[in-house]
Amino acid sequence: MHKIIPTAAALALALSLPQVAAAQDQGRGHDKDRGHKEKSRHDNGERHAEGNGNRDRGPDRADGRIRNPAPAVREAMRDQMARRSGAEREDRRDDRRASRENEGRVALSVGDTPVAFFRLEPNRGLIDGCPPGLARRDNGCLPPGQAKKIAQSRYDYLWRSRDTDSRYRYEDGYLYRMDGRGSLLGYLPVLGGALAPGAVWPTQYSYQPVPEYFSSYYRLNDGMDYRYADGALFGLDPRTQQIGQIAALLTGQSWNVGQAMPAGYDVYNVPYQYRDRYVDTAQSQYRYSDGYVYQVDPTTRLVQAAIQLLT
Amino acid sequence: MNTLMRRALTPLAVLLLAACGAENSGADSAGPPEPSSRTLAATLTAEDALGTSGAVMNNAGLADVLAGVGPYTVFAPGNAAFTAAGADFADAAMKAQAAALMRAHIVPGVLTRGDIEAALTKAADGKVQMRTMADGLLTFTREGTAVVVTAEDGAQARLTGDEMLAQNGVVQPVDGLLVKATAPAD
Repeated sequence: MHKIIPTAAALALALSLPQVAAAQDQGRGHDKDRGHKEKSRHDNGERHAEGNGNRDRGPDRADGRIRNPAPAVREAMRDQMARRSGAEREDRRDDRRASRENEGRVALSVGDTPVAFFRLEPNRGLIDGCPPGLARRDNGCLPPGQAKKIAQSRYDYLWRSRDTDSRYRYEDGYLYRMDGRGSLLGYLPVLGGALAPGAVWPTQYSYQPVPEYFSSYYRLNDGMDYRYADGALFGLDPRTQQIGQIAALLTGQSWNVGQAMPAGYDVYNVPYQYRDRYVDTAQSQYRYSDGYVYQVDPTTRLVQAAIQLLT
Repeated sequence: MNTLMRRALTPLAVLLLAACGAENSGADSAGPPEPSSRTLAATLTAEDALGTSGAVMNNAGLADVLAGVGPYTVFAPGNAAFTAAGADFADAAMKAQAAALMRAHIVPGVLTRGDIEAALTKAADGKVQMRTMADGLLTFTREGTAVVVTAEDGAQARLTGDEMLAQNGVVQPVDGLLVKATAPAD
């Protein structure tokens, strides 16, 4: 079943988002977005979304750094999830509208629902300042000895791809960003380290509420408090803030309707159950990323549509 | 005359069939591939030759991810590849390292061997790329009959053995780690 949701105005969503925007502004938020539903049906489901969508990652993934998102927002998301539970499978042409208030701030919506909030900056969620236990030290955050110790980590190469312009050092659950002289520029709790199952969420680390679509797609409905940070969805015990599970990994890449598809999707990768529907042709290619199938013009490589896959 | 015609046409028929075969691989295949009922997590832990990859996945805390909706394609190094790397990513003290390593071996979606081959056949420059969950690019090329995977840091491995179609993705065994170990800077 194709449910096509072309974009139209964005006013409805813009009005629905002040709480989200406010929540984001607590962290390094981002902005409002908009878009509204206009359902129509086409026999071949090939209607292309208009406008500009943006979905990004967590790692450019950056982070929307929403600390303690507004409860009302979370409740709204739960309500929407509940309404959708038990629904038939449906693919929805997602009508994305991204708007920018400030450089590096992007918001995305599908219909009247906020989908994802990301920051487009390279530091990917680094916490500025001193890491726990080092805040009261002299010489900035790190005394020379400590800096040297971090610099000697054997496995730093595993995080090499994060940012080629900076040095990253791993120690004790955190990744430290250093300048060329070994001074600390920021730090980041990492997956499997400070962000591992069993660990309590680092209090200084901001996160984003999991967008409703991801909750539906990844079936996150078991009572955990889900958070999105650094390219992963984490499920927490809402009472203890302890990480119970890592629920999904996301590329967090930006796919914008009307813009070029990101690099790194040269191979057809559509999920099994959608392969009979989304077949590469001379007119269109289909690629999967983070719960969506994207329709792409094979010649121009422009994204023609973003398709939600809901079961 | 008929015999001559048959002899003349036989190679052509073979070529046409071969062309059809190539066209029908991967994305252009007439029917979707048939996955097993096992998840990626179950597949990794059940395959003896990939047991270390399974252990590293568990150590990284990614078992739920690979047992979940996905889909993902995991380029799973064989046990020998981990031995050659000389680091025990399944050690409890290496959870963060295990997670970083695994992310570099996972790409979004379902990539069958046929899909990769089909993309390589179509690629004008003979190479195709996929984005990893560590935000890196894996480049696929052909080397003879083998498909070689090269990471941005130069780490290289070949697709080896048989792919395993799990219910939530694909396990593609590889013969090396897709992250190159280097000595600490400074």
